[in-house]
Amino acid sequence: MKKFLLILLVLAVGFQGTLLAQTRTVTGTVTGGDDGLGIPRANILVKGTTRGTNTSLDGEYSLEVSATETLVFSFVGYVTQEVVVGNQTTINIVLQPDYAELGEVVVVGYGSQEKKEITSSVVSIDAKDFNQGNVNDAGGLLQGKVPGLTVFNKGGNPNNPGTLRLRGISTVGANVQPLVVIDGVIGASLDNVDPNDIESINVLKDGSAAAIYGSRGSAGVILVTTKSGERGGSSLQADYNGFVSAAQVFRFQPVMDAETYVANGGNDLGFATDWQDEITRTAISNVHNLSVSGSSENTTFRVSTNFRNIEGVLDKSGFDQINARANLNHYAINDKLNINFNMALSQRNQDFSFNEAFRYASLFNPTAPITNPNGSFFQAILFDNFNPVAILAQNTNQGERQTLNFNTQISYEFLPNLRVTANYAQQFGSQIQGRYFSRESLFTGLGRNGLAERQTDENRFTLFETYAAWDKEFDNANLTLTAGYSYQEEQFTGFGMSAGNFPTDDLGFNIIGASGNVLGRQGNVNIYSYESPEAKIIAGFLRFNLTIGNGIFVNGGVRREGSTKLGEENQWGTFPFVGAGIDVLEYADISGIDLLKVRAGYGVTGSLPGPSGLAQDLFAYNRDDSGAGGNVSRVRGGNPDLKWEEKAEINLGLDFGFLGNKLTGTLDVYQRDINDFILNRQVDPAVFGFSNRFENAGKLQTQGIEMALTYNDLLSGDLRWTTGIVASSYQTTLEEYVIEETSFANLGAPGQNGTNMVRVAVGEQLGQIWGPEFVGVDDNGAPIFADLNGDGVVNSDPASILNDDSDSQQLGDGIPTVELGWTNQLSYGNWDLNLFFRAALGHSLVNTFRAFYEPLDPGAINSFNRTVTDLSLPNLQGAQFSSYYVEKADFLRLDNATIGYNFDVTSNDFIRNLRLYGTVQNAFVLTNYQGVDPDPVGDDGGNVLAPGIDRRNNYFSNRTFTFGLNIGF
Amino acid sequence: MRNIKLTAKLLTLACLVAALGSCTDLEEQLNDSFSEDFTPANTQGATNVTRSTPDDGLEGAFARLRNGSANHQNYFSMQEVTTDEVVITQKGGDWFDGGIWIDAHQHNWNSTHPALNGMWGDAYSAIGEANRLIADGAGGAAGVAQLRVLRAFVVWKLMDSFGRVKIPTALGTDVPQSSRVDAFNFIESELLASLADLPQGRAEYGRVSNLSTQAFLSRLYLNAEVYTGTARWQEAIDAADVVINSGEYSLSGDFSDIFSPENIDNPEHIWTIPYDEATAGGMNFAQMTLHYPSQLTYNLAEQPWNGYSSLEAFYNSFDDADARKAASFIAGEQFDINGNPILDLAFDPDDPDGAPINYTPAINELFPSGSRQAGVRMGKYSSKLRQRADMDNDYVLFRLAEVHLNRAEAQSRLAGNWNAGLADVNAVRARAGATAFTTMTAADFLAERGREMFQESQRRIDLIRFDAWGDAWWEKPAHNDAFKNVFPIPNDQILASQSEAFPLTQNPGYN
Repeated sequence: MKKFLLILLVLAVGFQGTLLAQTRTVTGTVTGGDDGLGIPRANILVKGTTRGTNTSLDGEYSLEVSATETLVFSFVGYVTQEVVVGNQTTINIVLQPDYAELGEVVVVGYGSQEKKEITSSVVSIDAKDFNQGNVNDAGGLLQGKVPGLTVFNKGGNPNNPGTLRLRGISTVGANVQPLVVIDGVIGASLDNVDPNDIESINVLKDGSAAAIYGSRGSAGVILVTTKSGERGGSSLQADYNGFVSAAQVFRFQPVMDAETYVANGGNDLGFATDWQDEITRTAISNVHNLSVSGSSENTTFRVSTNFRNIEGVLDKSGFDQINARANLNHYAINDKLNINFNMALSQRNQDFSFNEAFRYASLFNPTAPITNPNGSFFQAILFDNFNPVAILAQNTNQGERQTLNFNTQISYEFLPNLRVTANYAQQFGSQIQGRYFSRESLFTGLGRNGLAERQTDENRFTLFETYAAWDKEFDNANLTLTAGYSYQEEQFTGFGMSAGNFPTDDLGFNIIGASGNVLGRQGNVNIYSYESPEAKIIAGFLRFNLTIGNGIFVNGGVRREGSTKLGEENQWGTFPFVGAGIDVLEYADISGIDLLKVRAGYGVTGSLPGPSGLAQDLFAYNRDDSGAGGNVSRVRGGNPDLKWEEKAEINLGLDFGFLGNKLTGTLDVYQRDINDFILNRQVDPAVFGFSNRFENAGKLQTQGIEMALTYNDLLSGDLRWTTGIVASSYQTTLEEYVIEETSFANLGAPGQNGTNMVRVAVGEQLGQIWGPEFVGVDDNGAPIFADLNGDGVVNSDPASILNDDSDSQQLGDGIPTVELGWTNQLSYGNWDLNLFFRAALGHSLVNTFRAFYEPLDPGAINSFNRTVTDLSLPNLQGAQFSSYYVEKADFLRLDNATIGYNFDVTSNDFIRNLRLYGTVQNAFVLTNYQGVDPDPVGDDGGNVLAPGIDRRNNYFSNRTFTFGLNIGF
Repeated sequence: MRNIKLTAKLLTLACLVAALGSCTDLEEQLNDSFSEDFTPANTQGATNVTRSTPDDGLEGAFARLRNGSANHQNYFSMQEVTTDEVVITQKGGDWFDGGIWIDAHQHNWNSTHPALNGMWGDAYSAIGEANRLIADGAGGAAGVAQLRVLRAFVVWKLMDSFGRVKIPTALGTDVPQSSRVDAFNFIESELLASLADLPQGRAEYGRVSNLSTQAFLSRLYLNAEVYTGTARWQEAIDAADVVINSGEYSLSGDFSDIFSPENIDNPEHIWTIPYDEATAGGMNFAQMTLHYPSQLTYNLAEQPWNGYSSLEAFYNSFDDADARKAASFIAGEQFDINGNPILDLAFDPDDPDGAPINYTPAINELFPSGSRQAGVRMGKYSSKLRQRADMDNDYVLFRLAEVHLNRAEAQSRLAGNWNAGLADVNAVRARAGATAFTTMTAADFLAERGREMFQESQRRIDLIRFDAWGDAWWEKPAHNDAFKNVFPIPNDQILASQSEAFPLTQNPGYN
């Protein structure tokens, strides 16, 4: 009814304007070229006027026009059409779907552009294309959807969102994660935006696009636009999204059951316990999101509240979160003034549980009972071997996290072609964590008579930016100049305390004040406090965007940026960028091709080290062993010459379309050179007094190729099918380094310290898993290795893998050759089906579980459970790292399968839309990898030079079933 | 009109905000640490203070001695696991560690051994801090003299272990790699030059005096022939005489008191490294040596690591009546805090001792399947109840008994007759309740020195001086490789120094 009134109103206005001319009424229907159905609320405008109308729900319209006028028919997602009225009285229009979406407005740094104007590698993903199901962080929405974006998320730990990595390794020691910009606020926390509130995500991949953001955008930029009220939309609408999901462990670590264990010589304690089963559960999560948005003539708003109750498959693990977000947008003075205010708040109560339980569950004697007859937990006193059920039952590991951010943005159009914008934002994060280890807990706590730890960490980020954009129309060209200033300040503070010796376990960590250690000062108290320097980034930037004709797009600019983190003489850097694109079809007609755009971009960005204070010597005061006095000592040697790490990136791209743009695609090739990369490296202590310091230590080069192909409406009609594939590949070479050859990634205890598994050498690619070649087992159960250099002597000494006489070689590549995502959207009537497959090929993983626990070591089999896989050799007893534990981890995974039903509510005044859906995440995996998860591992405890090590502390991966409901009012 | 006014207001506002944010000041302010040295004001100590290092501004350098002196995979490990008194066996999947401890035991170490790299780096961090404080003139003339002795001691550790080392005397400048003779001469001249300015008599806690320096000189001269090819026996005797005749030190009545968790101020101590479980960590002997269930014997805060034990032959070189036997080793059946036997539930079915823990002197094999409970354990630095991974005992660098033995050896070698040292040796034996020697050979003396100095990082030096370094012992074949008298320069250090003015070169015999 309201819509009808609106149409009447528009008609009435239109009528007034046409009184003077020779007018008549034109009627017709607007239908979609894809399904032949009428398009409701399509726009019809009389060209050159403000007169127009909208189609009815069936796609019908009628309008008073004169014969000389031209009608413009448009609708989002369709190609706009113009028709001269002439003497027609019925104009039926078939709008063709705009598969290439060239008119779409894409948010880029400090402004927005139409998609066709973009000259860099930008990928835009709308909410409808996000991964569905139990997804709790923004990274999860994108996994597999953007070529070149990898979401490293081993397992399914709900408290540990995935690590994002764009185009592989962008830096060694500096910020490796892409910059996140939420509604124009750079550096905002992805933790504080609920996936339900995200409208779209744009990923700026190459240097020329990201350069405007400076150093923080060096690893790429992820622009998140949250949902807001729609101006001119209905006055008030509400949406509810909710789901319930159940997750189970997808694959347990393959170990012996009680019977097999005893048969292999295990110490039979008389019980049969499946420890992995005991510590895990079917995790039930539920999520509710309620939002209300609306608008008046000059104001739009949206408020939303999200509630997440998430359980992890590991007992106790999970979180409860409440998140609220509000945004308010006001236009004044004939839209010259725009004020935008955004605020978001998250409160999350977390239970981290203890991931160690996974490892102990796969090691603990499967014939052991969980508890002794007296009810206490059974414990075998062995090295690194604790009853995993007891760990979870006796101890607590909890936290509470709040994130608050707000930003106010004011922009004003001083002149018709000059708009000035100022943005002020703050973000606060605080976290308080507590751990309590019981007086009874052998794991930790027993020897301390109870151990309590409390710590708080806070961070504060302040952003002030102001910029001006000036437009100038020329005859055949359009120029936009943008200039701005950016000030960022970030600081981390925190303190913590750990103490033991308590009279009871009853209060958990809150008994910390009653510690016998504090009062008696038995030296068991650990107290610390930290406050980082205020890390500032100050920058000015200038950019031009020039459009010549309809088909040539040029942009470029420079950013001058300074940081507190570098040596005094090297704080400022200048970083240029330039890009150009040409729409070839504007200048040459090529039959059979409907879209052909060639792009090139080049940009330089700086990168900063993570910690502050590296350029300065650091002195600390240490109280000596009595507490009566203390001393000052130099605890870090600074590097006053520390300078900007620079990344120069060239990107060449091609956008193309065939078959009326039903088949579209993009192809990007790039090369990034990372010069002077910052690394905490070993230096000569005779010179510096310290063995390590941060230095600009070398050069990396990455070359890559990325492709996306989409076939829209491969099937059309009743059954529709759109399919798309993204693929990416890259390789990184260490071009220069202060050391010619070195190794990383120590395998570790028990028994395999001094065993580095990854080699890095100048002039060679990164990702080399390195070691001896396994050829068999000798009579004593020891592994036999190959004499690779043919010198008659087998030198498999793990400590000398880099020596000339070592029989070591590359055993695998930690970096995939190609990563693939394959999307399929099918619909039939009200039903829709979404199948998303993900694959990675060519990478290997070191299966560390096998490397430690698969050999049937006679000294361990009697009490430690063993890993058994298809690769197990019954006579192998000695554990030593070799090719035997390096496995090809190619996989194809049905990552996400969603089936949905959209109820027909067109006749319902109350409900706007109603959808039910079910999702399976991680439905199946095809792989030969013997570990729990074949997904690539991007770094080894933060060391990006050592990819491919599948460590023992990973959370198990899940299979999740979700049932959800979306309803709009 | 209204719009213009509003515009003006907004402009003003924008300019104001811009001005607020427009500072281009990038000075970095440290908030939780200091950017330069400062003199701490006096603070009130805790009430139950037992003993404190002096508040003289020198502790920053002296504290660096803690690194590696009494923990795993550093100086201590390389001085001990390479000898006939301590071994780390491979226990199945445990303690293989890439074979580095088997290599150490069998003298097949190479330049990538992580313990070598650790000891190198820690030594230079101590030298760096000493150089910084010397440049500051910390503690006046007496302070600088102590720092020079400290620096000379660290250079000695490097020179003794690696032979050819850099000897920096200022921060931030590179120096060439010295020959071993040059290093010896540097150490000697520094010690002699410091004597006059040093505090005289018994040193303060954790510090050095003229007498500590004389004790150090007696050890330096005793090994001069190894270091330079020229024997200096008389100088060794003279230095020992100064210490012994000073009357400042006496042999501790109870041998075990010298090393106990409350060993502060033992009359025998000449130079110690103060350790503390909370504020001065770094002594982990109990963790390194004890079997996992032995946690229950002492209710240790953390599970021990079951790595180090002693060799059967070495253990058997002690007389049962020798007080040092019980004070140096943990042997036999083990019990929990309530006196119940403790069990190794993972015992090897072939182990005749079964599940109850019994530290037997005999060890079945070095690798690959050394029995987990075989081997007597290092117990000289004894444990206390509820001990943390970091122990409270102070580590003894120099004590009177060693000075007696230094003098005995120097006198014997000078005289060409080992009986010349009997008086000093018997003084040390008498304290341990061992019967006096009436006659003595070089082998007797070396064994005696071994019994007295077990677990004090002296065995490697002694075996080299007695030309016994290449001898065979349990699971260690004999060799004639004189180049193994020093370790290889750590490979990582050679690589790290390539960007400096004087890149390090490897010792002869190593690649």
